[in-house]
Amino acid sequence: MSDHTVQKHTAPREWLAGTLFLLPAIVLFGIFVIYPIVYNFQASSLDWDGVNPGRFVGLGNYTRLFQDPIFLTTLKNSGWWILLTIIPQALIGFFLAMLLNEKLRGRAIYRAIFFIPAVLSPVVVGIVWQRIFDPFNGVVAKLGRATGLDFLVHGYLADPKTAIFAAIVVNVWMWTGFSMLFYLAGLQLIDSSVLAAAKIDGAGTWRTIRSIIWPLLRQTHLSLLLLGIIGSLKTFELVYVLTEGGPNHASEMLPTYTFKQAFQLQSVGYASTISAVLLLIAVISSLSMVRAFGSGFLTGDEK
Amino acid sequence: MKRQRRLGAVAAATALTLGLAACAGGASDNQSTSGGSGSLTFRSWSPIEQTTQQMIAAFKQANPDAKIDATIFNYPEYLVDLQTRAASNTMPDIVGLQPGALTQQYRANLMPLQDCAQKTWGADWQKKFYPIGIEQARMGNPASDENFYTLPLLVQTVNLWANTKIFDEKHAQIPQTWDQLKATVNQLKGGEYAPFMLPAKDSWLRNVVFLQIANNIEPGLVYKAEDSSDSWTNPKLVEAFDYWAKLFTDGIAQKGAIGLDAYPTGANQFEAGNAAMIPLGAWWIQQSDPTKTGLPPLSEGMSGYQPFLFPTIPGGAAQPQLVGGIDVSLGIAKNTKNPDLACKVLTDWIAGAGAQKLINTFNDLPAVTGLNPEKFTSDKQKQIWTTLTSDWMPQVKYSRYLKTPQMDTALGDALSGIATGELTPQAAAAKVQAEQQKVNG
Repeated sequence: MSDHTVQKHTAPREWLAGTLFLLPAIVLFGIFVIYPIVYNFQASSLDWDGVNPGRFVGLGNYTRLFQDPIFLTTLKNSGWWILLTIIPQALIGFFLAMLLNEKLRGRAIYRAIFFIPAVLSPVVVGIVWQRIFDPFNGVVAKLGRATGLDFLVHGYLADPKTAIFAAIVVNVWMWTGFSMLFYLAGLQLIDSSVLAAAKIDGAGTWRTIRSIIWPLLRQTHLSLLLLGIIGSLKTFELVYVLTEGGPNHASEMLPTYTFKQAFQLQSVGYASTISAVLLLIAVISSLSMVRAFGSGFLTGDEK
Repeated sequence: MKRQRRLGAVAAATALTLGLAACAGGASDNQSTSGGSGSLTFRSWSPIEQTTQQMIAAFKQANPDAKIDATIFNYPEYLVDLQTRAASNTMPDIVGLQPGALTQQYRANLMPLQDCAQKTWGADWQKKFYPIGIEQARMGNPASDENFYTLPLLVQTVNLWANTKIFDEKHAQIPQTWDQLKATVNQLKGGEYAPFMLPAKDSWLRNVVFLQIANNIEPGLVYKAEDSSDSWTNPKLVEAFDYWAKLFTDGIAQKGAIGLDAYPTGANQFEAGNAAMIPLGAWWIQQSDPTKTGLPPLSEGMSGYQPFLFPTIPGGAAQPQLVGGIDVSLGIAKNTKNPDLACKVLTDWIAGAGAQKLINTFNDLPAVTGLNPEKFTSDKQKQIWTTLTSDWMPQVKYSRYLKTPQMDTALGDALSGIATGELTPQAAAAKVQAEQQKVNG
């Protein structure tokens, strides 16, 4: 029997074995990823309260969605959230990581302190910050009254012009420790000999950070960017507790609006339409990043 | 490549099979079964877990073979759970519901309860309940449908509460009229507390305050606007929107009111003595629950509180109107395997031994008349209880709810727009009217 014939006989068996090994993952992927997506898109074509039989409306919900001023507000807010969360979080997180990567007394304690907000429940964080921002009895307002800084005595969460930005500030406070941890991990991977060589070549601290450390942390930046975009699009608890998307929908985000439509207004069909658009935005963002920067930052490969 | 295509086909086939097996928006199979296994499931957001367990224990004392599995959620989580269960035909046997839209959403999954009520309490069973509870239990039913799909468990008034310690210290009088309210707020200003704490972040609270104002201006007009026999742009309702605006522009409400939630922040601040007045409802009496320990001094026996009705408005009704309704009602799933046991539990919790346990905690007011806590911790607590249950509750004529969630949301949004200065009272009224026309078709 020739090698070619042996290969011909074993190939289908190998394929079968491979498929059987993959089957559990495929089934789980089908049940927990594909099925909900199909279900969601199907629901988005219905006028449906989630309980009683729905009425097929085709693309009617999508037409309605793009004429809905609150939906447009959620898109604008998501844009602000992505921009004003990812960049400050990365910069502050990087700065903290650089600081806490030095041999500092009590370094582990500082690292833990900065990371604590990231492990707190967003509900608890929301309740506490709502009190901090309360212009009548909150810490910020009291500080403003004591120091004469009148701008602190303002209802930042109660003002439609500032509510979304106040929520973003709380979010940055909450997640900067997470970025710091990522950068700390990235810093451990930088070969110390590269830094030593830079020092020998006369590079100062700023030059070393700008030309060596920052570029070498590219994968960390990109991972944080991707996580930041997805996290921003998924933001729910913090906004819901801080402002309930208000006042007058000024701080509404896609998930809070979806929740209100599905469970308060009993419009599951319309809520599914918002979810479908959210899903599309998330997929397009992720794919664009992979296309622009390669998949290396996800897999860890230098591609 | 070929292999990838085959794997893709397997995934697609799996998804298609699952998609066909359970499509969104399909009618659920609601076959009724009979027979009794002696066990039931109960899910709700109210009463709280600890009280529910006491109610179960009280029922089991008389029915030792019964088994009740109860799960109490936060309200938003409960809505998710209930909707998922109804869609998957796994409704709990007994469910907590609110009157109107929520009950109507699940009407097809619920069994009519008038036979159960009649069997337990007799032909004149409706007389056991406060009239507003009976009226609201069928709110939103189609014209030809006289069934009761839920029965009220707890009812309430919406009203204001005063911190009597602050009032006594400042020799202030509880305001009866709008002008007195303004004068009292001015008198109480300058302290460490808010004279009138309005936790207006919550849509439900904005709406109930507005309904009290609107009914004090022209009793019942809101509900006429709701059924299209009048309009939200009626000058009397525009005036009501204007008075809502005055709470903010005249400095009655505290700074940043639209960012403060009723629970937990507003309630905590009031209980801590940081406010002289707050609009909540009859349920505030639960702060004096004698089964709890370590109550704040103001809540001990209700020593520091006094309920009062929203002040009258110049040119409006001579007396303040009572607004309220059902807090929580109970329904039984149409496909329960044990309807007799479910009926027994439901009626016990509304007016039997379970109800007594519930009312002993002062959770809210009972839906049935004549049911009182077995123990009062002070004369003040007893006096307030009597005011709420005997003087006010039987007189409640106006609903604290609108009929549809769309209108509840539209009104809440309009009031928020007024509070932030984005809408004038006229524009808000027009916006609500436009939504009403959409809802009424």
